[in-house]
Amino acid sequence: MGETKSFVCVLCPRGCALEVDIGAPGPAPVRGNACPRGAEYGRLEAIDPRRSLTTTVATAFPGRPRLPVKSSGGIPLARLVEAARGLDSVLVDRPLRRGEVVAANLLGLGIDIVATDDLAAEELGDAMHGAGRAGEGA
Amino acid sequence: MLERLDRDVAVIGGGPAGLAAARAAASAGARVLVVEREERLGGILKQCVHEGFGLERFGEALAGPEYAAREAESALAAGAEARPGSFVARASREGGLFLLRCLRRGGAYELRARALVLATGCRERTDRQVLVQGDRPAGVLTAGLAQYLVNVQGLLPARRAVILGSGDIGLIMARRLTLEGAEVEGVYEIKAEPSGLSRNVRQCLEDFGIPLRLSTTVTAVHGKGRVAGVTLASVDQRGAPIRGSEREVECDGLVLSVGLIPENELAASLGLELDGLTRGPRADQSGACLAEGLYCCGNALHVNDLADYVSESGEAAGRAAAAYARGGPARRELLPVKAGSGVLYAVPQFLDLAAAGRGQVEAGARIYFRSNATLREGARLVLKAEGSGEVLLERSYRALRPPEMERVELELGRVPEGASALCLEISRKERGDGRD
Amino acid sequence: MRLGSLRAGLRKRAGAGAEVEAREWRGSVVLEGRARDWRSKVELGWYAAGFGYKGVVNDLEVEGLAPERPEAPGRPAGASLEGESFDVAVVGGGVVGCAIARELARWKVSVILLEKECDVAVHTSSRNDGMIHDGFAAKPGTLKARYNVEGNRLWGPLARELGIEFSRPGSLVLYDSRAAAALYPVMAARAAENRVEGWEFWGRGRVRAEEPGAPDSQRGGFFLPSAGVLSPYRATVALAECAAANGVRVSLETAVLGFDTEDARITRVRTNRGAFRAGAVVNAAGNWADHVAGYANDRFFSLHQRRGVDLVLDSRAGALQRHILAMPDLFQLHAKTKGGGLVVTTEGNVLVGPTAAEAPGREDYATSQAEMRELERHFRVNKLLSPSMVITYFAGVRPCTYEEDFVVERSDYVRNLVHAAGIQSPGLASAPAIAADVARSAIGILAERARVEPNPSFRAGRRAPVDPRRLSWEERAELVERRPDCGRIVCRCEEVSEGEVRDALRGLVPAASLDAVKRRTRAGAGRCHGGFCTPRVMEIIADEAGIPLPEVTKKGPGSPVALGRTKEAGRA
Ligand SMILES: Cc1cc2nc3c(=O)[nH]c(=O)nc-3n(C[C@H](O)[C@H](O)[C@H](O)COP(=O)(O)OP(=O)(O)OC[C@H]3O[C@@H](n4cnc5c(N)ncnc54)[C@H](O)[C@@H]3O)c2cc1C
Ligand SMILES: Cc1cc2nc3c(=O)[nH]c(=O)nc-3n(C[C@H](O)[C@H](O)[C@H](O)COP(=O)(O)OP(=O)(O)OC[C@H]3O[C@@H](n4cnc5c(N)ncnc54)[C@H](O)[C@@H]3O)c2cc1C
Ligand code: SF4
Repeated sequence: MGETKSFVCVLCPRGCALEVDIGAPGPAPVRGNACPRGAEYGRLEAIDPRRSLTTTVATAFPGRPRLPVKSSGGIPLARLVEAARGLDSVLVDRPLRRGEVVAANLLGLGIDIVATDDLAAEELGDAMHGAGRAGEGA
Repeated sequence: MLERLDRDVAVIGGGPAGLAAARAAASAGARVLVVEREERLGGILKQCVHEGFGLERFGEALAGPEYAAREAESALAAGAEARPGSFVARASREGGLFLLRCLRRGGAYELRARALVLATGCRERTDRQVLVQGDRPAGVLTAGLAQYLVNVQGLLPARRAVILGSGDIGLIMARRLTLEGAEVEGVYEIKAEPSGLSRNVRQCLEDFGIPLRLSTTVTAVHGKGRVAGVTLASVDQRGAPIRGSEREVECDGLVLSVGLIPENELAASLGLELDGLTRGPRADQSGACLAEGLYCCGNALHVNDLADYVSESGEAAGRAAAAYARGGPARRELLPVKAGSGVLYAVPQFLDLAAAGRGQVEAGARIYFRSNATLREGARLVLKAEGSGEVLLERSYRALRPPEMERVELELGRVPEGASALCLEISRKERGDGRD
Repeated sequence: MRLGSLRAGLRKRAGAGAEVEAREWRGSVVLEGRARDWRSKVELGWYAAGFGYKGVVNDLEVEGLAPERPEAPGRPAGASLEGESFDVAVVGGGVVGCAIARELARWKVSVILLEKECDVAVHTSSRNDGMIHDGFAAKPGTLKARYNVEGNRLWGPLARELGIEFSRPGSLVLYDSRAAAALYPVMAARAAENRVEGWEFWGRGRVRAEEPGAPDSQRGGFFLPSAGVLSPYRATVALAECAAANGVRVSLETAVLGFDTEDARITRVRTNRGAFRAGAVVNAAGNWADHVAGYANDRFFSLHQRRGVDLVLDSRAGALQRHILAMPDLFQLHAKTKGGGLVVTTEGNVLVGPTAAEAPGREDYATSQAEMRELERHFRVNKLLSPSMVITYFAGVRPCTYEEDFVVERSDYVRNLVHAAGIQSPGLASAPAIAADVARSAIGILAERARVEPNPSFRAGRRAPVDPRRLSWEERAELVERRPDCGRIVCRCEEVSEGEVRDALRGLVPAASLDAVKRRTRAGAGRCHGGFCTPRVMEIIADEAGIPLPEVTKKGPGSPVALGRTKEAGRA
């Protein structure tokens, strides 16, 4: 006999309460989802829960000591903290654009870590004086 | 020499609301300047490194900085200008113009504009505003401040934290602290249900085994130099601590996520009266306040939980401000929108029925609202015209909760002649017996 | 006789289980044994004070309450004092000690001001209402009454010299009973006795015109125009800076641990920075003044603590009230302090309070829910104010003798020691007058051995820090051109710039922590309570001090804002 798992869908703020029947052959039926993305998420969540990792990495620039990053795909939930620790030793020492890869193939999972903010050359001074003139137009 | 600038539209605040307003106004041909006190544009989203922004607007889950950067780029591309690192110290009216007195490193300047958009965001309620007692050590801070320390400065505000309040920023900080190597002892919420989104309870707490304790509060902080612990107490239905339920927990930091308040000192200084419920100025569907030429949007208008809605309200305000700046005052026909039974608040507080004729409203007017109670078993919303009693709109929801803002759209043409006001009401679905 | 009846009375009042003995010592009376509880200990002390001794030394023990000892300080960084020598050592960097140090600087003598904390004005002098009382409420004939009225007159010119804000909004005491009118002659007589000038009776209509928020039940009031307000911590810092500018050595993180005495003279002052010689010693140690007196074996009084809590309202509130307002309960006119009220500060906040409650804990500033509730009754005095305007609250502790008066005198037994002790409310108002007398005594002590000349280069003023809020817009624009960093706003609620913070960090008595910056500049004192400015001020402190960010503290050693950096776990 199959069992039913219930959890909240985390894909969007709606947070649908999903129920997934597992154990039966074939694609597991999902209830409670308000959209198709939820069904796909529910099926995967029941057997292999994954999360994208959003965190920061250190930079060599006193004006911007941390750079926000995210994973290019889902990381197994059980390895999320381990993955974050794995980024502790990363040091960004050059200007870059959001979307650029900061660390490749994290923990051998085939997942990259990419920047989610720009690190412009002109804002890399010290904490206050050189701080970003980004977007200054007037 | 005091620098003097002239623009059609001045926008105070370079967060998503202000940037959207600037882009919309610039696209409509207005000369726009955004004044932002921080060194970089993007507002609070710069420090929200987590994902989940832009699902509505861009159809993808972006991190806060990504969303902010896109909005900043598109505002500048549309021809808007921005001055980061400048603080609007005073706002006043002079002749037919707004006069902003701004300060920035090395120079003060005056900005005169025909129309003014307030997009100043919100601030956090503090431990004192929820009457936490006890000692005054270092280590008591709001979740937003903790977020800045961790995400921007790379500092750890605590190694073993207690979080008070289950607002979204608190939940998100529970996960951030955990991912950055600190321990979160638990999240405590005075109410009987979490204030944040269910998905955040799941992915920020349950994923990491962080306990969430409801109907519990922190009554006192202990420690001389640095936090050494807190006293927790269970609370009764009215939120009052139950005698004898006190217990102490060791921790070295207390992080508070107990609510946001629109930042409206400038609005108040311009003579705008604030709505007691939203704590923002009252406005119509384009953010036009009750004073001519003055617009308000984003979290300064009311606290939003979705950046996408913030951008939307900024766009409406920017478009209307540009039209005003270039066309001058227009006749307005304001119809009050009331929060009826079951509704915590509704924004806008007025609909300008004449706006349709000016072509400012495309699809119709958007009305944002929150229910005042959790309705898990389904809910029904009706929008009625007072006077005729005609139902203009009806909607069913699988569930409604106060933390989750909803939105409906109304075509202005549907408002019947002679309506004295519109009224929003929420009831339980099955019985239709109103709120509990 | 006297001692006998005191003993009998004590025994009667002490109650079952208590054991109370009394003995005379150098004209004072010492209570020993065990009291039932704290309350009873204090009441027995008050009772003993009625017997006309020089002082009451209350050494009664209370079960479960260990006698309080000052925290043992570590050896701090910075200069050692070992082997140095000063003409006068002033113990205590509160408003009283700082005012005394400045007065001493009028003479050609070397002065050191010793403060155990990392800043001046950390204790009672930054935890009060900032009111410069008119002097009406003090009991006629006491030192409190005399110094208060004198101090009130002195603060006007002194504030101008120091460049600090001071105003006299006047104090309006409202009555809600018809019978109040009958008291007016009594009040007039009291005012005359204390030499409080300029008072007026206001009728209902006048009160309503002046204070639209006054309650409908008011029946007029008694107006005392000389009552003033100032920022107590800014005043204390200003006094210390003026003293320092005139050559006084201000030694922070320096705790006096004891004295060496010889022939009824203090020869050496022992501190955690080493021991030094002193010609005269001034005891202005606030809540520890009885301990400090004890170091010289001159403890002829003891202090009990009276807590006071205030609520702070948003600076919007200041526009809703013109005068200091109170509406006392007529039957409490004889309470130990006035019943509290509503004070508009120089910054436009309104203080609600203070409470007054006897409780042990010389430096216990924890607040409680019950205290918040107690203060709520004051909101009826101005109906335009409401509890939703509360942005924070704080507690302070008044050091009180059992005689409930100040001790301002040269020691009877130690020839080079002067006390300024038991400086409870209205100690802030009285400070300039106390300081003048104490400095005179200390100089008198030195003059017994050698001639003391006036200091011809003494400057009564100081280089006051820029305060952009007091400038016009044009002046401010000019300032920003001269001082670019005065254009970068780091505290949004109080509009404090980077430049002001840097000035505070570079002052003659430099701020070194977030709280010290807040006391000087108000950065972090506004409605968001540091939510915005904390990281920015931290960066400036780190930059000025040349320390890493995690070493920045809230209020000195042991209070870091952050506990290290992220990313350390995985790198280690
Ligand atoms: C700490 C915090 C965390 C949040 N986290 C989330 C989240 O995770 N997800 C989410 O969807 N929403 C979140 N929100 C809500 C979020 O604020 C909105 O989604 C959105 O960022 C609001 O946009 P805004 O433009 O109205 O305000 P903001 O982004 O706050 O921008 C307002 C801007 O105005 C500037 N400003 C204000 N006054 C002046 C002045 N006098 N002179 C010059 N400039 C001024 C400020 O510096 C700021 O940049 C959070 C809010 C806070 C306070
Ligand atoms: C709630 C409240 C409200 C009040 N309101 C008013 C008011 O409105 N108007 C008014 O006039 N008065 C008021 N007062 C009273 C006033 O604050 C005090 O009288 C005044 O601040 C006392 O100053 P001080 O210098 O004697 O004491 P403190 O400011 O306490 O200074 C004493 C200093 O000595 C230091 N010290 C102690 N021992 C040692 C040692 N061994 N070595 C080195 N340093 C040592 C301490 O660290 C401390 O900094 C109020 C008091 C309270 C509690
Ligand atoms: S199922 Fe669809 S609508 Fe529901 S939470 Fe998931 S993504 Fe959102």
